[in-house]
Amino acid sequence: MVAIYNPEITCSLLHAVETQSLSKIYSNGLKAVDEISIKIEHGEIFGFLGPNGAGKSTTIMILTTLLKPTSGKAYVAGFDVVTQAKNVRQNIGYVQQDSTVDEYLTGRENLELQAKLNHIPRDTMEKRINDILEVVELADRQRESVVTYSGGMRKRLDIAGGLLHRPKVLFLDEPTLGLDIQTRYKIWDYIKKIHNEFSISIFLTTHYMEEADKLCDNISIIDHGKIKVTGSPKNLKSSLGNEVIIFEMDSEVKSENLIFEMRKIPTVKDISADGLEVTVFTTSGDQLIPQIFQRASDLGIKIESISLTKPTLDDVFLSYTGRELREDNGKYDRKKERERIRKIRA
Amino acid sequence: MMLSDTYTIFWREMKRYRKSRSGVLIRLIQPAIWIIVIGNTFASTRPLIQSVGFNGSYIEFMAPGVIMLTAIFTSIFGGVNTLWDRRYGFMNKALTSPISRSSIALGKMLAISLISALQSSLILGIAIALGVSITNLLMVIPIMLIVIAFSLGFSGISVIVAATSKSQETFWGVINFLGMPLFMLSPALFPLELLPNWLAFVAKLNPVTYSVLLIRQIMTGTIQIFSVAFDIAVICGFVVAMVALASYVFTREVNKPF
Repeated sequence: MVAIYNPEITCSLLHAVETQSLSKIYSNGLKAVDEISIKIEHGEIFGFLGPNGAGKSTTIMILTTLLKPTSGKAYVAGFDVVTQAKNVRQNIGYVQQDSTVDEYLTGRENLELQAKLNHIPRDTMEKRINDILEVVELADRQRESVVTYSGGMRKRLDIAGGLLHRPKVLFLDEPTLGLDIQTRYKIWDYIKKIHNEFSISIFLTTHYMEEADKLCDNISIIDHGKIKVTGSPKNLKSSLGNEVIIFEMDSEVKSENLIFEMRKIPTVKDISADGLEVTVFTTSGDQLIPQIFQRASDLGIKIESISLTKPTLDDVFLSYTGRELREDNGKYDRKKERERIRKIRA
Repeated sequence: MMLSDTYTIFWREMKRYRKSRSGVLIRLIQPAIWIIVIGNTFASTRPLIQSVGFNGSYIEFMAPGVIMLTAIFTSIFGGVNTLWDRRYGFMNKALTSPISRSSIALGKMLAISLISALQSSLILGIAIALGVSITNLLMVIPIMLIVIAFSLGFSGISVIVAATSKSQETFWGVINFLGMPLFMLSPALFPLELLPNWLAFVAKLNPVTYSVLLIRQIMTGTIQIFSVAFDIAVICGFVVAMVALASYVFTREVNKPF
């Protein structure tokens, strides 16, 4: 393509998504996105995590050409989202948070509409739709109106629509929000399946740490418009120590000595005591447990109970975004408004 | 590409219309009441109407007016699904696909005007069933063409209001403010010649006036070439201006955050 002759863009072709100091300031002065720089490799599943109002939606809207950034650059599939918006649109699939399928059309008609919106030639359209309906297991219900579909089926239809034109980058905005746990696992399977089958890059936003942990090669945590940390879920978790040991002592006498002794052990990353309960972040828990017993009995301390767990992405998320409750910055009102409209419409 | 994209949106809107059959009849109730109640209430104004050269009954006089009433309201309400589409994400889906922004607006407007013509043709059928005479049944075709063209212009107004409104309340407020006066300030129910000068002047600025006059001439078979040409020119000018303005405003507004 012509774009290759521009050295700046050649650079960004190396990545499925790349942003350089991307910022968005709304007309009311709110700085929703603040100097974000991210790089997503081809074929990568990238998770974009953050609390409500952190700037996830704004970022996704810029990357999908729905909003223009205030400053900075963003490239998707090698194209500039501002100057080459049309090329970007040809190369992305966008599955929005809320279901966008037309309820009164059948599943198949919805996909036909999606195919036409994305200029899929008529002769390949039928086959593409049949294929994708098989992937999301909706072939047997394709002739029924979407009104009769469950939430999970609608989501699958949405995802199918986003994949129909074989995009290079698929944006999945909260793909399992509001779905029950069985459906959520199923959707994760579909995401993995399509990722393997179509070898596309996926940009995923989610509230569910478990989802990011299961699916993503890399994640970024964003808060107040800024990227707090980027890395693979595994690395981020092990930065907190691979394992957590929590044990309870029979008395506080000499407990300070025990903690002092334990700090000397090289595999102990951090240790904190709260009354009789001690929490130890460590890199090798199974080897540490015998040592704890050893040192405790040397000091005459009895261990009442002990447990070994792994740090979760929740721990990572909370350590970067803090534990205080969030104001839902207007999001709540919008949801309420939607509910209201749904009622009027029904 | 522009044409096929416009057709894609048109296709989607028509599919949606076809699946909402209950709405079709509900929307006919009001114009039917107009034709039956107002048509009979003012039946005795026949001498007045005859004094300005109209030979038929009052119902025959006001039938073109009610056809236009149907067209006005069907088309001016039609743009409201632009707001639904922005709320429910279909708009974002269309905006992130390679089709052009103006083809979204045009596809919607074409669908609205065709739906408007379908609704108006049903009202024309009711009028004929109530005894309104039409010189030649083939004249239904030019009447429908006028309704389609006129509705295209009015759907432009609707799309403009919908694209600039952030809420349903704003949309309905503005639309109700516009709809009734546009209908009343025309010769739909009463001849222009019998209005006070200032009202007649205002009515002459209203595109509805020319559509009503044109349809009335066609239905009664009293076609005067000069006045028909003038009416058609006014309607065409109005439609072109509205379609252009609507695609411009729509394209500008959808690029802003909703």
